[in-house]
Amino acid sequence: MKLLMHIIYVLALLCSTTATAQKITISGYVKDQVSREVLIGASIVNANSKTGTSTNQYGFFSLTTPATDTIELVISYQGYNIQAKKIIAKTNIRLEVFLENTSAMLNEVIVTAGKDDRNIRKAQMGVIDVPIKAIKNLPVLMGERDLLKIIQLLPGVQGGQEGTTGFYVRGGNMDQNLVQLDEATVYNPNHLFGLFSTFNVNAINNVQLIKGGFPAEYGGRLSSILNITMKEGNKSKYQVEGGIGLLSNNLTVQGPIQKNKSSFIVSARQSHINLLIKPFTSSGNSYKFYDINAKINFELGSKDHLFISFFKGNDKAGYNNPNSLNYITDFGNSTATVRWNHLLGSKVFSNTSFIYNDYNLALATSQNNYYSLLYTAIKDVTAKTDFTITPTTRHKIKTGFSYTSHRLTPASFSASIPRRGNRITINKGNINSLYSDEMAFYIANEWDASTKFGVNYGLRVPVFTASGKTYSYIEPRISSKLSVGATTSVKASYTRMNQFLHLVPNATAGLPTDIWIPSGKKTKPQSSTQYAIGVYKNFLDDEIEASLEVYHKRMDNQVLFGEGKQLKISSNLDSLLVYGKGESYGAEFFLKKNTGTLTGWISYTLSNTTQQFNDLNFGKEFPFKYDRRHVLSVTGSYQLTKAWIVSAVFVYSSGPASTIPTGRISTLNSGTIFEGNYYVYEGRNNYRLASYHRLDLSASNKKTVRIWKKYYEREWSFSVYNAYSRQNPYFIYFEIDALSSKPTAKQVSLLPIIPGVSFNFKF
Amino acid sequence: MKTVKKVASITIAALLFITACKKDITINFPADHNSKVFIEGMLYPGKKPQIFISKSNPFFSSNVSPQQVFARRAVVKITSGTTVDVLVQDSIFNKFRCRWEPFYRGNIPAQYGKTYTLEVNYDGNIYTASTTINQKAVAIESIEYTAEFFDVYGGHDGVILKITDPPGTRDYYRFQMNRMIDSSVRHAHVLDKFINTCVSGPDEKFPVTDIGRIVFTDENADGQKILMSIEVTHEYEKGDKGWIFIQSLDRNSAEFYKDLDDQLQAIKNPFVEPVFINTKIPGAMGVFGSAVLSDSVLFVYPRDHP
Repeated sequence: MKLLMHIIYVLALLCSTTATAQKITISGYVKDQVSREVLIGASIVNANSKTGTSTNQYGFFSLTTPATDTIELVISYQGYNIQAKKIIAKTNIRLEVFLENTSAMLNEVIVTAGKDDRNIRKAQMGVIDVPIKAIKNLPVLMGERDLLKIIQLLPGVQGGQEGTTGFYVRGGNMDQNLVQLDEATVYNPNHLFGLFSTFNVNAINNVQLIKGGFPAEYGGRLSSILNITMKEGNKSKYQVEGGIGLLSNNLTVQGPIQKNKSSFIVSARQSHINLLIKPFTSSGNSYKFYDINAKINFELGSKDHLFISFFKGNDKAGYNNPNSLNYITDFGNSTATVRWNHLLGSKVFSNTSFIYNDYNLALATSQNNYYSLLYTAIKDVTAKTDFTITPTTRHKIKTGFSYTSHRLTPASFSASIPRRGNRITINKGNINSLYSDEMAFYIANEWDASTKFGVNYGLRVPVFTASGKTYSYIEPRISSKLSVGATTSVKASYTRMNQFLHLVPNATAGLPTDIWIPSGKKTKPQSSTQYAIGVYKNFLDDEIEASLEVYHKRMDNQVLFGEGKQLKISSNLDSLLVYGKGESYGAEFFLKKNTGTLTGWISYTLSNTTQQFNDLNFGKEFPFKYDRRHVLSVTGSYQLTKAWIVSAVFVYSSGPASTIPTGRISTLNSGTIFEGNYYVYEGRNNYRLASYHRLDLSASNKKTVRIWKKYYEREWSFSVYNAYSRQNPYFIYFEIDALSSKPTAKQVSLLPIIPGVSFNFKF
Repeated sequence: MKTVKKVASITIAALLFITACKKDITINFPADHNSKVFIEGMLYPGKKPQIFISKSNPFFSSNVSPQQVFARRAVVKITSGTTVDVLVQDSIFNKFRCRWEPFYRGNIPAQYGKTYTLEVNYDGNIYTASTTINQKAVAIESIEYTAEFFDVYGGHDGVILKITDPPGTRDYYRFQMNRMIDSSVRHAHVLDKFINTCVSGPDEKFPVTDIGRIVFTDENADGQKILMSIEVTHEYEKGDKGWIFIQSLDRNSAEFYKDLDDQLQAIKNPFVEPVFINTKIPGAMGVFGSAVLSDSVLFVYPRDHP
């Protein structure tokens, strides 16, 4: 730790050689005026020098500027009124800025204020801040608002199976996304088999997706970082909000523990689908899930802030249909995070975190007289510390160290259903756990070289140890920006990433049978090299953002199950795996309207993703399972009246790739058990199923009502998912007539037109 | 609240708790299916060669009977040194399947220790492959019946054989049982619905050859005792007899039949990745290989099929 502190101070000194005694530092927090919730990514600009910064994920900022009699600071945040402050700037200043939410006024939800030009101003690229308002307004499945469903509508991102929350970024597999809730990894962020995510929208403060140009502070995944920050809780007054939908009900309570100093938030959601489906389904069919988010925070003086957050979610389900796929599952995530923010003067912000997470999934499925068992568990304990140093206005240095202890417990089995006797079961107590250690050190500098040119460069050094094998790498990261005029910039980035945990996907079964394993002697870490270049342009005083990004990503040590490999009860899955590489390139167009009565975006991605494995597809290159040539998303929300908002989402994507035999051969000389017709395959993922498209509609009515001399907000939200009931392909299979030997292809579609309604309240 | 209940009812009725909607679809592959030649030929010392040559059909075609797929008018030769055997078209009637099965028949029995080269000239293309019959025959040391054992294919009844592997070479084995059965006997897997109408009466018996699906190797067991648990193909009753052999396969045949078995498993088991069959004959699909049989041992089923 001493060495680390030395390095930090030396770097700080190096970068501050231009800083003289005439400079002062303005630091502090930007918060919501009413709830005192911190605002992440708020912009702070010195109007005199036109230099600026933005708040970090704890709402903190630090801006060094020449000392002068007065300077004018302009503080802005999307959805909030802009605030201009004139301050005497002769010595270092600590500020707390409170911004007024434009929707804080009764029934007013039109987004009108708060310019946001970070997309063109900052060097980092491949970043999308997901508007929480969009999550709340856009149409949803069965009235359940969902964060991950909105993520799927962003450029470079696409959904996987119909209706599920899994997402795939720039040709990467689902496991290549690091989903973090208050810094804790959530390995399976799904409810109801992926139809809904585990994140309760009422408890979320901020969501950021990074899909390229990764800053050095992030690692461990190849394709994306989804950073979700929970609310801290209202520091000034108690607040209750909740809702009831078709599937679940939720309640969020927040308020001060000590007014303006500490607060809490507890948010819980529980399904009631079981009660509703009982009259319609036979015994053996059930579905229950719940999740709880809780967080408390304490301001310990002016320099220290302590956060403790907790999340737990669990699903239990059974589905029994003798003519179809059957399953029983029980899975859940638990995370706990303790974080301590500490200010070392006005230029150094530190955060130290201790994180625990526990994920386990047990799944038993049967289909076509075969059954499969799967158990996977991950327990992580993490300690990390990060420093942000702002020696001058032009430099922001970030450095830190993290250590994670992983314990993975995988087991799986598949066989035909025995004609008599019991099936084999997995005894959790007998499964060998696989232990591994992951460490990383990083350092990065965000340098605004001039008003036109900025660069964010850094290094990350991860070290992973498992099964007596150690892997260490140097990951260079660089992202740069060149401004072309006041509203346009061009950016380019290069990143190298490594990933030490693998989710091995099974391509054939109707239900996911994915299993997590660590890198080891045979299974090497996945790695990627990504280049990207983009043009960013804002129109109409930042009301409309447009961007075009082009990327190329190469991925090595990709993992798949080998042809014909069958799951066995063993923790050593290496023998079932094959290894190869992947390549993805594409162009992503994004047009987003942030403010006004009509908000929304158009996102279009043109991409191509292939894989090559020496032991698959005769060694030839083949399309990635989730390769989609065209993906288009159009979203829009329109403020019809003060009370009514109508919204729509249209999604189109090219058909998913599937492996279909092209011919059949008859074996005759092989003895009776081999006799029959075998399949001739010409290529893996050689066929495209029908394209995917659907239209979702919603309307919500929000009013403030007075009851018992108090005001509360109530909202009715009506939605229609898949409005024209498109039968999108979920998976296909073949039925072969026993007598005629003629195969028939069957397509299974999951979600037809589904209306939804939910009622929400807040007081 | 009433609205919620009403919409909930409609929704649930529509959704029926994730009730999937299923429909037949048409897979539109290019009409000109690139037909492949499929060659299967196993040489056994002392036996005349039988080579099965067929063409692959479009996947959704139902023309898959042996006569429909047979590659007629091929010129087939097997050469060993200066000896050339030109094979002729022939066929046998398979009473169990109730169908004619055409093939190309040679006239010169294969001999142990020799190398044979197959040449197939069909439709303007020439396909060649070679095999040497030098595998070591093994002796069956014991045969046991088992009412239940578990392997990757699930739980089965079957037989357990013991052999001693000859040291020093990589060896491959598979099971063979020759039996006489009648039309009441069913195939253990695929012919549950098949009704045999080709026999003269229920008591007429005809021969079948049951070849085990698993190819065993001596990997990690070179020169050691090897136990083989084998699922049998046909139903049986107490007292039924069969002559059991162990085939010692050449490497090409072993790899090819392992691919076939893996694909069979992948076709049936939705939790297994598809298997592409690796050919052992350049330009065509299939294998030209050889096997040496052990001495046969008579086995009597001690109980009825469970």
